[in-house]
Amino acid sequence: MTERMTRDQLLRRGATGLTLLSVPGLLAACGGGGGGGGEDSASKVNDVLNFSNWGYYIDTKSTLKDAGVQAPTTLQRFTKKTGIKVNYYEDVNSNSEYFAKVQGRLARGRGIGRDIMVSTDNDRFLGEYISNNWVQKLDKSLIPNMKNLIPAQQHPPFDPNRDYSLPWASGMDGIGWNEDVTDPVTSVKQLLEDPKLKGKVGVWNSMGDTLGLVMLENGDDPAKVTKASFDRALSRIQKALDSGQIRGFYGNDYAPPLSHGDLAACMAWSGDIANLGNPKLHWEVPDKGGIIWTDNMVIPLHGSVPTASTYMNFMYDPKIAAQWALGANYISSVTGVKEEAVKLTPDAAKNELTFPADKTLSQMHQNDPAMLKNADYNKRWLAVQGQ
Amino acid sequence: MGTFLHRHRGITPYLLLAPGILWLGLFFLWPMYYLGYESLQTGLFPDFHFSWAFSNYWDALSGYHTQLERSFVYAGIATVACFVLAYPLAYWIAFRAGPWRNLFLLFIVAPFFVTYLMRTLAWLNILADQGPVVGFLRDVHLLAPDGRLLATTFAVVSGITYNFFPFMALPLYVSLEQIDEGLLEAAKDLYASPTRAFLRVTLPLSAPGIVAGTLLTFIPAAGDFINAALLGTPNQTMIGNVIQAKFLQSLDYPTAASLSFILMGLILVFLLFYARAVGTEKLTG
Amino acid sequence: MSSVAETVTPGAKPGLVARIWRLVARHALTVYALLAVGYLMLPIAVVILFSFNHPTGRFNYVWNSFTLDNWVHWNAVLGIQGSVVTSLEVAALATVVATVLGTMIALAIVRHRFIGRSATNLLVFLPMSTPEIVMGSSLLTLFLNHGTIQLGFWTIFIAHVMFIVSFVVVTVKARLIGFDRHMEEAAMDLGANELVTFAKVTLPLIAPAMLAAALLGFALSIDDFVITYLNAGATQTFPIFVWGIARVAVPPQVNVVASAIFLVAIAIGLGNVMLQRRKPKGAP
Repeated sequence: MTERMTRDQLLRRGATGLTLLSVPGLLAACGGGGGGGGEDSASKVNDVLNFSNWGYYIDTKSTLKDAGVQAPTTLQRFTKKTGIKVNYYEDVNSNSEYFAKVQGRLARGRGIGRDIMVSTDNDRFLGEYISNNWVQKLDKSLIPNMKNLIPAQQHPPFDPNRDYSLPWASGMDGIGWNEDVTDPVTSVKQLLEDPKLKGKVGVWNSMGDTLGLVMLENGDDPAKVTKASFDRALSRIQKALDSGQIRGFYGNDYAPPLSHGDLAACMAWSGDIANLGNPKLHWEVPDKGGIIWTDNMVIPLHGSVPTASTYMNFMYDPKIAAQWALGANYISSVTGVKEEAVKLTPDAAKNELTFPADKTLSQMHQNDPAMLKNADYNKRWLAVQGQ
Repeated sequence: MGTFLHRHRGITPYLLLAPGILWLGLFFLWPMYYLGYESLQTGLFPDFHFSWAFSNYWDALSGYHTQLERSFVYAGIATVACFVLAYPLAYWIAFRAGPWRNLFLLFIVAPFFVTYLMRTLAWLNILADQGPVVGFLRDVHLLAPDGRLLATTFAVVSGITYNFFPFMALPLYVSLEQIDEGLLEAAKDLYASPTRAFLRVTLPLSAPGIVAGTLLTFIPAAGDFINAALLGTPNQTMIGNVIQAKFLQSLDYPTAASLSFILMGLILVFLLFYARAVGTEKLTG
Repeated sequence: MSSVAETVTPGAKPGLVARIWRLVARHALTVYALLAVGYLMLPIAVVILFSFNHPTGRFNYVWNSFTLDNWVHWNAVLGIQGSVVTSLEVAALATVVATVLGTMIALAIVRHRFIGRSATNLLVFLPMSTPEIVMGSSLLTLFLNHGTIQLGFWTIFIAHVMFIVSFVVVTVKARLIGFDRHMEEAAMDLGANELVTFAKVTLPLIAPAMLAAALLGFALSIDDFVITYLNAGATQTFPIFVWGIARVAVPPQVNVVASAIFLVAIAIGLGNVMLQRRKPKGAP
């Protein structure tokens, strides 16, 4: 018995039709009980898709205009092609906070009123969703475009067969600096040890990102962390903290001090520096390499797998992905996206941050999900921050 | 109705209490039961099991007593600062503001309408190293040439003071407002100087407000985390930051829960000592 | 302090220095009050200033150039309008309910002796001593364990009343302690029963305290993030909206909306000033 039939039945009986008609809507919006689009709508393609994502992560009319692209947004094109309306919620503001918000319901086997949600692979939460079976398997028969997934993303350690997730957007970890306050800062070593930068250096409070970069500086592999490599990286940060080099551990809030010059240089995300639009701020890949993080789409419990899979397939068309990348300004994981983007606007060829050259991508590494989940590592990392 | 209440005067307090206490019982105490249960669990997320693990409390206390102490110190300094800054303002509003008083009460809470993030971004702008304030302080040698205001203990305590200012100012106003000006005139008639009148009449009569303001500022400030997060360094972390991190990042719910109860317990102990010191009638009348 | 030299002859009027000192002392308090309000308003002035900024990128951190565009297109950022409306509605409703409940509790504690009085008094302090993250998530656990309630406006409302009540109780108590009961006794001597006395004598006298408590409660509600975020389901309040996009953008429209809320509040305050001025002196 599908949701649709239930509604028809009620209409025929003319019972408290009006009130109960709104219950599936309430459930869809608030995610109690049946969640998603209703318990059994999970088995067929619905006419509505509920998608939770980070803010500014999708192409909009104004960003497409800025990029010089004349087209309806990818969401509009999707609806036109499939007839599925998308309720797009920009309510993910932090991986840990979103996790805190939804884990209670997922742990109880309930839905959250979403068919797709997004989480980043530089933190433990994406792995938790998958290892606790709080997300459903993709319907790969509905995602033939999955063949367009770039090789580097085909077998990530947290989801080796890509059964549960597909990349949405990627960004690069590197070093940002303010030219008013310092000369270019090109290495993590310089960041942590150059006395001219003392007290004006920022690092992230995120273990995967910060220690990942330090491990690369140490010559270790951030994708295969050992106790020894972890110890080396952590002690290097501790040293920089004790010497007064590091001003603080930042989340998203490194941007104001960097803009004001309170931070001369800090670990920064490529997308942020681009979006700050401040000509005094620069971003670079550290000379020993950077970390690439990827936000992945997953289907929470009671989300509609067919509907979500249909959407994912649409987004993995290189033409669509190219338009998205130009509008959202983040890195796509679809092959051929740069070529398609250049067809839409020739400027794309010069956009290193959104369409990084292969050389840049080859300097990028991913985090080790085992490190991210390790309770002891987490505890020691927090202890360095006084927590 | 009036006669009924008169005849059954004994139940009046319970009638008055019932709705509010019911609300708190349902939506605060019951959740606290869940939290208490969590605090006695062991294991790693998501496999916790209940095991009467009172050791969690001891571990939490010994592991994080630095942050606990620091939280009380910061909250204490901020409370005193709030009192010093707010009392004259509350006095002025109560006695001198006349028709302007409600407007000025609004001014006191207005910062809250602007959301915490926007206020703090503004302070980050105003107190930036290259900004006018730090520049001025460096020029007059109150700050070292490479000194800064942000990312310091000063910044965190100032942030707490600024944010909790209304919690001190409004209760002070409430008890100052009700002072009968006739009493002050009587004191003047009896040849008391303005200072003496203030110290002997106004100040003691405003004591309930001072007590209320102190508690409304100190207690929530002790559990604050956001000021230390945005304005401080690892040397300024408060117990709120630890609890936040344990809960959100480590997914170590038992430790987060036990730390919360430890904080609550310490505050209750403080309350009991404070009540004794100022006299319980200032807390209950 | 003035350094005017003067000769004091015995029996003369209070000297110039003394007169100046008294002038200064008379107005020092007013000057201080204005300075204190200036300190409180300093960040708000910056927020308002930056609402006219045209930032270079997505973040309104550094002054770039002046524009009126943000005020014209204040609604340009999707979701901002709905979140403000929700915030104001929740705050208004929760404040009213919490003020009523809290005043009742304060009256009970201060004016009656009953079993459990000190326990109640202590209970009231507990919510404000609990860190928001655990209070919010424990409440969420409660809501989830009793799945009939949907997360959204009403769960936010419930949470807000819960943590505002304590602040109201403590604030109103400050007025009730030391309350001069002679007026009430006089009213009852004149034949009024308890209820009438309360409505016509007590209530007007504690009204300023209730107003102050309500202001505090409203401020708490409109600025709350942690507890609200965890219990809101899909609903967005203004702080949730602001924190939500803060990772990727701080559009000037946020400044515009925040400034607008502030200015509307001040306008209401100014209206109240005019109302108060019309009242004869001494009237409540």
